[in-house]
Amino acid sequence: MQAIFLVFIPTLTIVPVAIAAAFAMRKISHAAIEGMTRQPEIAPQLFTAMLVAMALVEALVIYCLVIALMVAAKI
Amino acid sequence: MSEAVRHLMPYIVIFNFALVALVLITLAFVTTRRKPAEVPDTIQNVAEYVLEWFVRQAREMRPDGVTVIAPFLASLFLFILFSNLLSVMSFPIINIPPTSYYSGTLTLALIAMVGITFISARFKGVSGAIKHLFWPNPLQIISQIGDVLSLSLRLFGNIGGEFMVVLLVAKTAPYGIPLIIHALGLIPAFIQPTVFTLLTANFLAEAIHIEEKRPRKEIRQEVTPVELPSSEPVRKGKLT
Repeated sequence: MQAIFLVFIPTLTIVPVAIAAAFAMRKISHAAIEGMTRQPEIAPQLFTAMLVAMALVEALVIYCLVIALMVAAKI
Repeated sequence: MSEAVRHLMPYIVIFNFALVALVLITLAFVTTRRKPAEVPDTIQNVAEYVLEWFVRQAREMRPDGVTVIAPFLASLFLFILFSNLLSVMSFPIINIPPTSYYSGTLTLALIAMVGITFISARFKGVSGAIKHLFWPNPLQIISQIGDVLSLSLRLFGNIGGEFMVVLLVAKTAPYGIPLIIHALGLIPAFIQPTVFTLLTANFLAEAIHIEEKRPRKEIRQEVTPVELPSSEPVRKGKLT
């Protein structure tokens, strides 16, 4: 019985964080694409800034992925 | 992944890193041995494009240190990129990207942070570089450790996660579908080295830029009196 609950822990660790990160990335890409269409001449700078911002959001998901993997390795 | 491969994983990582280094050294010989032509062909074009990107970034950071900063960033970028692209190879042992193993990415992040300390020691002196690690608060060293962790975990999570997904999919659906997953995996394989290099460049700029705060303020004071009178009356006129 306990093992069945343990199976859900990695999933429950990563799913809410992935949803939150998806919302954050939506906002970042929305702002970046809007800026690019308004001012195409600074599109390269905006793209690099967008990449860095997305990487910072993504790092949080990956911390949770690592924790989930650690829990999954214990099972 | 079979048990034997998992047992030999550290050696495979070292072998693959050495392989990537060999490929890069060979490419460097091929691209630099002949004379640069007036009208560049394909290889020269690609090499110049990659080099130009890093030289521009280094020039923004520190115009007198381009010869030190640009090779550092470019070698990190190319090394990580080629390590990630190993996953497309079709040979059994070589197709394990060394960046999908945590020790490999941790090594890369440590090399980046130690390199940053060495470069800042070159520009600001050894005392300045050590001061950056502990200033303004001795707890700053924890932030440095956090940088190493975030750099290494990000790369590991992206490439290792992708690799794991490919393995799991190949187990359930061996034909056709892994190709799509591989093609999707090429996107992080190109974006992650970019992000790694950009963040390293940011940390490096943070480490070597501290002394240059005063001249910037002087420039701003010269500019602001010119800008304000020209912009304000127009706005008032539009409003009234």
